[in-house]
Amino acid sequence: MRINILIGGKAGQGINKISEIVSQVLVSQGYFTFNYRDYPSLIRGGHNFNILSVSDKRVGSYETKLDIIIAMDENTIEKHKLELKKQGVIVGHKTLEDLGRNLNVALAGCLIKILGINKESLIDEVQKQFNSKESNSAAEKGFESQKQKFDLKKLNNKISIMAGSQAVAQGAVNSRIDLYLAYPMTPATGVMHELASNQIENKLMVFQPENEITVVNAGLGASFAGAKVMVGTSGGGYDLMTEGLSLQGMSEIPLVVYLASRPGPATGVPTYSTQADLDVALRGGHGEFPRVVIAPGDPIECIEKTNEAFYLAEKFGTLSIVLSDKHLAESEFSSDRKPKKPLKVEIKRKLLGEGIIKTSSYEHDVVGNTTENAKLTQENADARVAKYENIKKECSKFEMIKIYGKKNSKNLIIGWGSTKTVILDAIENLDYKFLQVLYVKPLSNEIKKEIQKADKVILVEQNVTGQLGRLIREKTGIKIKNRILKYDGRPFASDELKRGIEKIK
Amino acid sequence: MTINLKTNQQNTWCPGCPNFMILESVKQTITKLINKGAKQEDFAMVTDIGCHAKIFDYINISGIYGLHGRALPTAFGITLGNPNLKVLAFMGDGAVYSEGIAHFIHAGRLNSNMTLIIHDNQSFSLTTGQNTPVSQQGYKSKAYPLGEFNKPMNPIKLALASNINFIARCNAKDIKHTAEILQKAIEHKGFSFVEIIQDCLIFNKEANNKDSLMYKIQDNKNKLKAEKLADEWDYNDRKGKIALGVLYCEEKPMLSEEWPQLKNLIKKKVGWKNK
Repeated sequence: MRINILIGGKAGQGINKISEIVSQVLVSQGYFTFNYRDYPSLIRGGHNFNILSVSDKRVGSYETKLDIIIAMDENTIEKHKLELKKQGVIVGHKTLEDLGRNLNVALAGCLIKILGINKESLIDEVQKQFNSKESNSAAEKGFESQKQKFDLKKLNNKISIMAGSQAVAQGAVNSRIDLYLAYPMTPATGVMHELASNQIENKLMVFQPENEITVVNAGLGASFAGAKVMVGTSGGGYDLMTEGLSLQGMSEIPLVVYLASRPGPATGVPTYSTQADLDVALRGGHGEFPRVVIAPGDPIECIEKTNEAFYLAEKFGTLSIVLSDKHLAESEFSSDRKPKKPLKVEIKRKLLGEGIIKTSSYEHDVVGNTTENAKLTQENADARVAKYENIKKECSKFEMIKIYGKKNSKNLIIGWGSTKTVILDAIENLDYKFLQVLYVKPLSNEIKKEIQKADKVILVEQNVTGQLGRLIREKTGIKIKNRILKYDGRPFASDELKRGIEKIK
Repeated sequence: MTINLKTNQQNTWCPGCPNFMILESVKQTITKLINKGAKQEDFAMVTDIGCHAKIFDYINISGIYGLHGRALPTAFGITLGNPNLKVLAFMGDGAVYSEGIAHFIHAGRLNSNMTLIIHDNQSFSLTTGQNTPVSQQGYKSKAYPLGEFNKPMNPIKLALASNINFIARCNAKDIKHTAEILQKAIEHKGFSFVEIIQDCLIFNKEANNKDSLMYKIQDNKNKLKAEKLADEWDYNDRKGKIALGVLYCEEKPMLSEEWPQLKNLIKKKVGWKNK
């Protein structure tokens, strides 16, 4: 069972509130939801829409054909009516227009009725969110105005909803982060807002400096002094940070970087999604130095992998990059899985105030003073390589890849990051195995073995050059010929991806 | 307790460079503060890249030898990472007024507790003498064989406009006076800025020997007077007077007094680890 609901309107009309209310009610009834958010870079007006997918099983994508359209303006109907299935329903704004600012709450009420869920669950949720009689009555009006079309009986699943941004913040809090530094940049900003909102309770501090150059350099200064630090940004800000990443490599001060991609180059398509920054995550910063790049694929993994990023950064004095994108950061996922118990991130190194400790952007001796000595220059470079070998060993204790689908299938799909959940939806009834790459650096040796076992291999990525595919080729010598690449800024719809997979013989 | 600020690093400044005198002033200042009760481990320095920055290797205190133009943000980070430390940032005029200018302007607004020490010789000397934003008009370097066309910026005026609450200027050759001013700067609550005028014996020598223009003033707390003092010398010609001393000083709430998280660390006298 799957229902796809498009909720559209102008920015500022409150479509997200409709998704939120309806998702919460659905989850309370034991249904899985997935909410995709599509919006242009503007604050008021324009055309925003969400696609809320509902299922009695795990769901992590939207489909191209809609069952219901909830339209807060005429434009929404115009733009999306062709996507509606034959038996689909459109709920317009006109019948409830006199409700003014409560129109969105009323439309949430409409949806609940159409889905066949009881009024009490709706009113409970609206009461919880607004604590206002006016809102309750708007929800009720909407509810009463519609006819039931579906019959969603209560299920016993225990489900919670989370966006990737919230989850990365949760992973940082689980690691007992002290300081988060960031300059506003979509789609990374969600983590900054999330951490800032509860900073006192969580005993941490969120600071917004004048630019990303300060973000990274101050991040290193604070980490050196003894704080657990994460910095966050998207592509352009990351570019500014790269000299600081290189300083990390030389100074070996622990640093966690959260990098949330959007389509580039340059300002690109700021509020849409891409996986085009894998290359730069792997290589940004001059010189040769170790790093870890981890790409979680859903919010639960965001919690777990952000924690691993902190653990590795602190244990090895290394750079850990948590790679996400707009789709993972801002879509709302539901899950019945609980994250694993967090690893304890312990600071064992000597901190400022506890002795004389020096580090440097120059090649330096054990004390921290500058050297240009040939022997030491070479030894230090060797030491950085040796450190990476130790990092690799430690990473092998974690889930670097995951295998899903039909485990004995000879057909293999390889993907990473935010494509995970749509791939799972697309291959549900196909004879396919799915290999999800979580650690992009270091890259698991298992990948080669899995490819060699398969007869047919398909690479799925949301970029134009197949960056993971190139990396796999670099590491294994194997070229994956079948590629499904999407790079229009919009994430795959599961039916669209399924058709793509079926086309490859 | 014996204070040992020396390191075993071989000094590579040019013979006779005024940086030796600045090094001596800094050591004297730190020694005095340690004698007054500060702990040697509580000092942290961040240096930039340039001749001045070699000071990192010559003083036995903690710190980070940072990136070019970025000593300020790195030092600022240390103040966030542990607000109980005494943090010094060393930069050259090229680094701070070119590559790092945004950080300089914001430092006044942020007012975190640290001291910025500028070695100003009006030249990028470690890269063989190119023009900086405070090189005088007409200065010919290998990069600008036609001579510098632009007038220099006036960092003191910029500091005043940027709400930096402690602004001082010294002469590198006057070790005793420089040490006195540095002590006041470090003891000032909030961000303090000390510009040390120094000669370079190799590059932009035309800018050297301004001592006859220099005179010392009493600590000044009046902003209007500070603006007048700043106007007395435009960093360009050999006319005018160069006031030395605390050109402006005012106490304002500093960053660590505003953020409850940092206030808590100061109250408990701990870093984040023991928050």
